[in-house]
Amino acid sequence: MNHRGRDRRGASNSLRALALCTVLALAFAACGSSRRSGNTTGNTGASTPGGTTPIVDTSNCPAGQDSVGVSGNTITLGTSLPESGLYAPFTAILKGERSYFNYLNAQGGVEVPKGSGKKYQIKLVDKDDAYDAARTVTNVNSLINDTKVFSLFNVVGTKNNLGARDTVNSDCVPDLLIASGAVQWGNTKFPWMLGSELVPYPLEVRVFVDYLKKNKPNAKIAVLKANDDFGQSYAETLTELIKGTNLTVVQTQGYDPESSDVKSAVTSLAATKADAFLLGATLLACPNALTAMGDAGWKPIVYMSGTCVSKLLLGAAGKNADGLLTVTPLVDPADPGNASLPAMQLYMQQVKKYSDADATDGIVAYGWTTAALMARILENSPKLTRSSVMETARNFKDGKGIGLELPGATWDTSATDWFLGETFQLITYDATAGHTKPLGPLVNLDGKTAELSPQSLLHS
Amino acid sequence: MTSRRQLQMIGLAASIVALVVLSVIPHLTSATDTQRWAQALYIGMAAMGLNILTGYNGQVSIGHGAFFGLGAYTTALLMHQHGWQFLPTLLVSAPLCFVVGVLIGFPALRVKGLYLALVTLGLAVLFPDLTKHYVHVTGGTNLVALNRTELEPPQWVPTWLSAIGRDDQWAYYVTFALTVVLVIATYLMVRSRFGRALIAVRDHEAAAETVGINAARIKVLAFGLSALYAGLAGSCSVLVDHLANADKVQTFQLSIKFLVAVVIGGAATVIGPLIGAGIVVGLQWFISEVLPRHLGSIGILKRTLGNPAASPAIFGILLILFVFVMPDGIVGGLRRFWARLMSGRSGAPPPTPAPLTT
Repeated sequence: MNHRGRDRRGASNSLRALALCTVLALAFAACGSSRRSGNTTGNTGASTPGGTTPIVDTSNCPAGQDSVGVSGNTITLGTSLPESGLYAPFTAILKGERSYFNYLNAQGGVEVPKGSGKKYQIKLVDKDDAYDAARTVTNVNSLINDTKVFSLFNVVGTKNNLGARDTVNSDCVPDLLIASGAVQWGNTKFPWMLGSELVPYPLEVRVFVDYLKKNKPNAKIAVLKANDDFGQSYAETLTELIKGTNLTVVQTQGYDPESSDVKSAVTSLAATKADAFLLGATLLACPNALTAMGDAGWKPIVYMSGTCVSKLLLGAAGKNADGLLTVTPLVDPADPGNASLPAMQLYMQQVKKYSDADATDGIVAYGWTTAALMARILENSPKLTRSSVMETARNFKDGKGIGLELPGATWDTSATDWFLGETFQLITYDATAGHTKPLGPLVNLDGKTAELSPQSLLHS
Repeated sequence: MTSRRQLQMIGLAASIVALVVLSVIPHLTSATDTQRWAQALYIGMAAMGLNILTGYNGQVSIGHGAFFGLGAYTTALLMHQHGWQFLPTLLVSAPLCFVVGVLIGFPALRVKGLYLALVTLGLAVLFPDLTKHYVHVTGGTNLVALNRTELEPPQWVPTWLSAIGRDDQWAYYVTFALTVVLVIATYLMVRSRFGRALIAVRDHEAAAETVGINAARIKVLAFGLSALYAGLAGSCSVLVDHLANADKVQTFQLSIKFLVAVVIGGAATVIGPLIGAGIVVGLQWFISEVLPRHLGSIGILKRTLGNPAASPAIFGILLILFVFVMPDGIVGGLRRFWARLMSGRSGAPPPTPAPLTT
């Protein structure tokens, strides 16, 4: 009896040691993220759209739920994003959003509909999901059922939103301005979801192919892609678009999207001496790939996914990032040349006032602009109901001059066009200056996303 | 021995109270809280399974998230793509996980201790890749999200179990019922020949073999059984969370959660892992939801304790404290506390810790 007890404790000693080690590892993973700031927001309006045939079918929606989330003069929005764990840097988005909504609320709030004189404060409730789709679904259910939000706003991640797809569509709760450039938001079976102004991934490939056709029509292309639907969007679209051209793909290498270890894949690609390099990768895999490319002495024309446009990621690649091509839907806050723009001045001033975020970080600018886009959609809605706001977002025509949107760009949608961010800028990175520079005029591919997208992703 | 008897009576009374409380929970709390309780139960089920392997049989696994995922994907795919009801899917997922567990158990005969832990870690890393390669369901990803209609309870389920259109109650009661079944099964098993063989092999493999125990068979069976528990837990998670998903970070974290539940609840105790799971889920909820909400007005606290990014760190510190204060888990700690209480000051001194062995 006693002997057994001792041995049992012996076994649990090593167990304890193991548990402690892993707990420490998890604790370290928690470091290096950010804090959140105050809440609430609002803004001023413009005009109301006319009544046409509705795009969003509301016949199966639950009764009496259309105005949930509006109480008195407050509209409650809900979001879920990684505030802890490996993806915690995305918390910068929330800082940009809060800065905008706080600024708007201080101006009196958002006027719905525009011109009615009735202003509402915006309250944004955030929940942490650590980028785990199961936790996002729990958060979304809780935001809908407990918090009783009017609409979801800028929930981060492709799978995270796909997990909640059935819920938002059967409860008829708008899942607006999803923080993902995935093409799945163009699936017409699920009208209650809309992607944000991020450039849909297939359009990036189109721009790159057009660039090569003009500058290097016989280019051999090497492709690095994440082994998931995100990487597939790049690789499949490229295969489609080079049909009938003299462009060829010499080699495609996949990498594990969760490890960001791409060195061997890139070394193998470098051995092909290809003329062009398509980086269908994201986050740390981008600087890692660029560094590996530089180490191998390979100097192709590089196109890097727009999801990697961040001061931090590009800075990590340093000299190796010089001259690469990518796209952005926004004015770069890191470029001192943009400092004189009134929109930029307002942004810099308000972000400094309401948050501790680094205003030159493109992720903060994205949060700010997406919040401004949300306010613009609300004020264009003829009624403050979920169905009216969703219908407005689906048939959005007032898409100019929002937040840090590029001057001259338009973000719009229609019955046949389910994507907002189809006007954007091809940019190149200047490593010496430490910021990006525009290359050529604005690219307008309005309404083109659906036809360029891999159909297997669009309809499943 | 009387103290042991009293301990059993107290255990019985506590179990009855726990059963009653757990039976009425969905009628007292919101859908979100009911879901959280159900999550604690399914993590407890998997931890009970890991406990058979690690606590009773001495084989360490940090890859049980993979068996959990296998159960979850089996159930989710059968329900979503083949229109099955939930309960019949268990008849597929449980045997499947058992067989895969046995297959993994064979190579595990050759590696021990921390090396085995590394091999099972490989399992947790490999599983998400397999799903990404073979599963393309919701939006073409490896996510399998279920529709509300697919999650509805079958017709024969009385309304007090499924309540007024709230599928969370059905999910909760199914998970609860399976947990009770597994607790009874574990209780009977550890007191059977097989259970004694498990412990004998853990404590002294060579000695166990001299008395006629086939150690290899016992170890492989322990692997299979613990995989079966984890698989059933995964199946229940589909009903509770409405999806099956596998990413490296989550599969690994889940595996660690099971291990942590076993260690802080009490390894080699029947009910310990369940209590441990309750504490793991409860603590995480408290740290990431309650603290941030209630520290909102206090500047410095909000930036530290109330920051979601700090929650894993706070969780880690609390766990370290737990392990130091109750080195043999909650159940072990309560037993010692009770023994000391009964024997008074004249009683035996607290047991000296055993030397650290691997």
